[in-house]
Amino acid sequence: MLQDRALMLKKARAFFDDRGVLEVDCCALGPRAAIGSNIDVIEAAVSNQETGFLHTSPEYAMKRLLASGSGDIYYLSHVFRKGDIGRLHNPEFAMVEWYRLGLSFSELIEETCAFLCLFFGPSPVRTIGYREAFERYAGIDYTAAPLSEIKKAARKLGASDSENWNRDIFIHFLLTHAIEPHLGHGELTVLTDYPPHEAALAQVVEKNGEQVAERFEIYYETVELANGYHELADASELRRRFNAENERRRSQNKETYLLDEPFLAAMENGFPECCGVSVGFDRALMLRRKAKSLAEVLPFAWTK
Amino acid sequence: MSSLSTNEIRVGMKVEVDKEPWLIISNEFVKPGKGNAFNRIKMKNMVTGRVVERTYKSGDKLDVADIEEAQMRFLYKEADGAIFMDDKTFDQITISNEIIGNNQPWLMEELIYQVVFYKGAVIELIPPTFMEMKIVETSPGVRGDTSGRVLKPATTETGAKIQVPIFVEEGEKVKVDTRTGEYVSRANN
Repeated sequence: MLQDRALMLKKARAFFDDRGVLEVDCCALGPRAAIGSNIDVIEAAVSNQETGFLHTSPEYAMKRLLASGSGDIYYLSHVFRKGDIGRLHNPEFAMVEWYRLGLSFSELIEETCAFLCLFFGPSPVRTIGYREAFERYAGIDYTAAPLSEIKKAARKLGASDSENWNRDIFIHFLLTHAIEPHLGHGELTVLTDYPPHEAALAQVVEKNGEQVAERFEIYYETVELANGYHELADASELRRRFNAENERRRSQNKETYLLDEPFLAAMENGFPECCGVSVGFDRALMLRRKAKSLAEVLPFAWTK
Repeated sequence: MSSLSTNEIRVGMKVEVDKEPWLIISNEFVKPGKGNAFNRIKMKNMVTGRVVERTYKSGDKLDVADIEEAQMRFLYKEADGAIFMDDKTFDQITISNEIIGNNQPWLMEELIYQVVFYKGAVIELIPPTFMEMKIVETSPGVRGDTSGRVLKPATTETGAKIQVPIFVEEGEKVKVDTRTGEYVSRANN
């Protein structure tokens, strides 16, 4: 197991070396937290007066490097997420994240599939849109279906749907319970064309008369492995989305976070046209080993 | 009533859902990328035995079921049930035949049983895992084969129909696993 992890770390770095992508080392501990409504940040007392945050991904730091002219870069190290403990989650895990200036959205998807094939060998690739996946596997047109219809589909699959469930929660329930079980069987399944409110930090474009986010996720054997974007470069839109995420956090009675102003300032000074993606290294290793849980492949799992 | 967050729920805990008691079988943390976190909980109804899978939003609360357990001595049978006594309080209760269910053949006077109460009412009777009982009916023993692999039917003093090795004779005492109804060994007496 230790040898295989070392081998895959070496292969991953060689993959980027071959493509002229520079490894960067980002700070794991910073003064500002990344803002996501469903990702909680581990706080750390840096001194008696100051609180810092462990990074949940190297995204903001890497984007500052990109804005300062770094060119293509990758990061391969650990990130931290509060409360994520389970069969497929460990509060600390290894992430590979990279940004490519010269690649289009579809080219980055191809490159990510090639990267994942380092772990699983050559695998067929299937692409399915978010809307089509919901229609095919949940029988729901998620944009038009009334909440009552979405609830009915969710209840059939065991949703407890207590009063605090909103539309987003039902959609995420169907994603995990109705759709994900069908993805990645003997193939890499690319889920793409996300709804605008699931854009995170991706650009939103019009496609066949519909607004969709240029965001993708890749699944193998039902497990989500990669999350990528055609990166949003508009600093004022980023600010708007961060505020919206904080608003969602507030509505769930979660703490809100201060915006990362140095990051937003860097974005305002000019961010290059690029695409970026992150891959869960430990999960890829788990599937490569045909293991059932992350703990089986982590040298030091939180639950051990 | 006290409650537990889905993150605190562990295998073996007992919760109340839809006004019924459930035993937790598994609790899996599920979270899509950038999405809401859930706990997929598998549980068994402690009254009907039905197993269901329910998904909760992580952090949602579930009520703890009002379950109590007591060690009680079996005294005697009546037409509609069996009488048990708490050795400490000398309280006597009747457990209905419906609750006793498949455990009828494991009732032996003076033995101690585990009794499970939900909101004060008995919902389950659990016999000792291993019980020693006399064989009252079986075909004559065959000497020679002592491997224990060749079996024959037998009836015990409590009326349990079990399979025993062919060397076991009528009148002998044997040890039985009440979870499976299987012969374990000859009793040492």
